[in-house]
Amino acid sequence: MDIRFEQAGARFAGRLAVEPLTISLTERRIGIIGLNGSGKTTFARMINGLVTPSMGRVTVNGVDTVDDAEAVRSQVGFIFQNPQNQIILPILREDIALGLKSRRLPAAAVEAAVQGILGRFDIGHLAGRRAHELSGGELQLAALASVLVTEPRIVILDEPTNQLDLKNRALVEATLNGLDESVLVISHDLALIADFDRVLLFHEGRLLTDGLPSEVIARYREVATL
Amino acid sequence: MNSLYVEGDSFLHRLPPGLKLLLLLAVSLALFLTRSPLFLGGAAAAGVLLYASLGIGWRQSWIRLRPILLTIAIVALATLLLESVEDGMVALLRLTTLMLVAAAVTATTPVGAFIDAVTRAALPLEKLGLVRASDIGLAVGLVIRFVPEVISRYQALRTAHQARGLKVRPTTMIVPLIIQTLKSADEIAAAIDARGIRGQKRQRKS
Repeated sequence: MDIRFEQAGARFAGRLAVEPLTISLTERRIGIIGLNGSGKTTFARMINGLVTPSMGRVTVNGVDTVDDAEAVRSQVGFIFQNPQNQIILPILREDIALGLKSRRLPAAAVEAAVQGILGRFDIGHLAGRRAHELSGGELQLAALASVLVTEPRIVILDEPTNQLDLKNRALVEATLNGLDESVLVISHDLALIADFDRVLLFHEGRLLTDGLPSEVIARYREVATL
Repeated sequence: MNSLYVEGDSFLHRLPPGLKLLLLLAVSLALFLTRSPLFLGGAAAAGVLLYASLGIGWRQSWIRLRPILLTIAIVALATLLLESVEDGMVALLRLTTLMLVAAAVTATTPVGAFIDAVTRAALPLEKLGLVRASDIGLAVGLVIRFVPEVISRYQALRTAHQARGLKVRPTTMIVPLIIQTLKSADEIAAAIDARGIRGQKRQRKS
């Protein structure tokens, strides 16, 4: 992947949520950490054009997130903090198919892709279930399946282990480790990103530190206890 | 997230969604083309039988239909008082039949199938360059999707009131219910954008 921020920042109601920064992200597994309200989620949302930069520009594999948001979103999948909000249609099978149908694929191709992704995550038994019947871990996998079925090259996950019990956390971690796609994970779960290729630390809307997990996590612990 | 769809294998479940929507349209038109008490009474009885054939159960049916039934009762009562007893009865029978048939169609059609059917129906408009057919289908699907969600939010708010020993009043329920529903709609809109389900062009902020 090749994500570039060129003096890109985001301002909401006159306040800088993300200060302008220039950075290039090419590693396959990147973690994003920081205190609540530090700008992590806004930064991540800028990558797939959910938040457009108030200044500068953001490109993903050479495509500008403002000029061609549709093309960027076909490359960058985003999984929200609360997967309930990710699921648009009540029944899992329908929800997974929705993203494919909007691309006007033939019915047979949609069905094959849905079966394929259900098989990939071993959740075929959940196909006919409703979102509110799923456990936290199942819901996270369902959200992941609904995004990955459209074959994005990059996946952003916003606190994927938030509010999960140990069993479901392990399930999500194992799934994340098995992904072939490039991943960016926003997390307060430091163990989850401890062996990632690179970690970014945000603090008060600013990119404070950027480097290897051990160094950045150590710096985060200092910031958190100030 | 809950759903109005009820799994089953009834005759109505097996009918194609497009045909069900056409039948619903035809029934709606027929109901408003006549004032015959015999026809409207028969239609209402048929509506009850149709809905009962789905096997949803009286209690669940009451929970689902109660808000609309109350609205119909208010409309019929107002018509009766402002117009005549006959007009009140006509309004009651028409709206009740319509509610039962529409509820039966909704209970036997998954939201995804609704979206597909409406999208197909809107394709001629897309060819004329007036709309994006998939947007129309998605909009209709989202309306159906949000009905049970609003109801469950109302129930959660009512429970929160009871847990804090507060009396459930419309004045203390309506504002949080609207705010929560709008927030949820915002989040769903973001999910639709994030998943690229509805393509859109954005302008660079100045």
